[in-house]
Amino acid sequence: MGRTWQRWLTAGLVVAASILQGCVNATVDEMTFLEPTEGIGDASVVIIGRRHAPDYETEFDFIECIGDHIRRGDNSISVLHELEFINMMYPWFEPRTAPLRTDDIDKLLAQQRVADRFEELKLEYMIWIDGSTVETNSSGSMTCGVGPGGAGCFGFGTWGNASNYEATIWDFTDEIEVGRISANTSGQSYMPAVVVPIPIIAPVQGTACDSLGDQLLKYLSAKM
Amino acid sequence: MVARLLDLITSGRNRFWRLLSVATVMLVLAACGAREVVVQGNFPKPLMDPLPLTLGVIYTDEFAQHEIFDEAAGRAESDWLVKTGDAQVEFWNTLFSGMFEDVVLIRDHDTLRAHEGTIDAIIIPAVADLQYTIPLHTNIKIYEIWMKYRFKMAAFEDIHGGDNGELTINPEQYFADWTLTAYGKTPTAFLQSDEEAVNLAAVVALRDAGANFATSFARIPDIAAWMSEGLQPPPSEAAESQEATDG
Repeated sequence: MGRTWQRWLTAGLVVAASILQGCVNATVDEMTFLEPTEGIGDASVVIIGRRHAPDYETEFDFIECIGDHIRRGDNSISVLHELEFINMMYPWFEPRTAPLRTDDIDKLLAQQRVADRFEELKLEYMIWIDGSTVETNSSGSMTCGVGPGGAGCFGFGTWGNASNYEATIWDFTDEIEVGRISANTSGQSYMPAVVVPIPIIAPVQGTACDSLGDQLLKYLSAKM
Repeated sequence: MVARLLDLITSGRNRFWRLLSVATVMLVLAACGAREVVVQGNFPKPLMDPLPLTLGVIYTDEFAQHEIFDEAAGRAESDWLVKTGDAQVEFWNTLFSGMFEDVVLIRDHDTLRAHEGTIDAIIIPAVADLQYTIPLHTNIKIYEIWMKYRFKMAAFEDIHGGDNGELTINPEQYFADWTLTAYGKTPTAFLQSDEEAVNLAAVVALRDAGANFATSFARIPDIAAWMSEGLQPPPSEAAESQEATDG
């Protein structure tokens, strides 16, 4: 009887841990123009993170998350892989050399090999993502122990995360900026533990990725 | 405690306890040892129109085997050994071969003589300084590497060979001598070890050095003058003083 009860409790905790999520507040601001109403055809898009600030850098996995979100929403949109693109264009998209304004595109295209590579890639839009996710607060304590009879934890921990990202869309053909979308999200995660810790994670970065991804998809896709 | 663990290993009753003891001892010993990073990475060829130059490159032993050893400041810290030599040579070979029409690796006097009349200039890179920080040092969740390079360029005729095949040059005969800095950082990441993070920061720093070199090379005043004068190096101070004495 006791064992069955224990099994049900463990199974219940595992299910609860996988279902429960912390709450996330999200604010999305959008300002876009010159939308490609017919979609982008066989042209391609690249999404790149800004990494020139001294105290933070836009996470590679966040950029990948947005790219995947767009590909899932409309598989006709060709989104180039960020790291492959940066390697292909080395040394022109390193933190030191990456163009900061649309005026810098001309300087890039003055290099014949760079211009040829862009043409080969049929690059139509370059989307710069600037921002990061940080931990804003944390408190609580938890103690875990292992003994001959088993292992277990007891305590409570909580922490907050905040994501601030801004996407800047450049039309590469016309060499102009055609939009800015920002997503600010925040949330509190909790981890109560009575024998088994139950993480109640607030998907702060994931929500920021979905929010930005949705807006970018709406802008680029002819289907939306 | 170590004695007790060793005792457990030798007299353990079953395999599980023996393995657990060995693992614990290894963990304890690992915490005491030096942390070693042999920098490794994939470096892309630069996308640029190659300069119409045949460049000779001399990697000194100090450069090709470059490493930095940092002794722990306290019991809570570890010694660090960061070996960048192999990565430096691999990276600069890739960069130079994309930046210049032809690149010749000069290993000794014989290689030098074999390319007489074909080399426009010889470059000698050196790591003048390398500093690193990890979150333990700074309390910031970023691993950083900062490097300072010193590049020297000389005309083919100014490189001489010694009796033992070693290459020598009079320090006054370099027609260009400049420094260049590079910086690489990487944030902390889930399940990423300190060694992996330092390696990543070093690779970013190398790439930054390459970006800096590629975009500034032709703008270095001595190089710009040399290129605008049809690749004729200005007379060196040694040659000038010799001429003055002769005169």
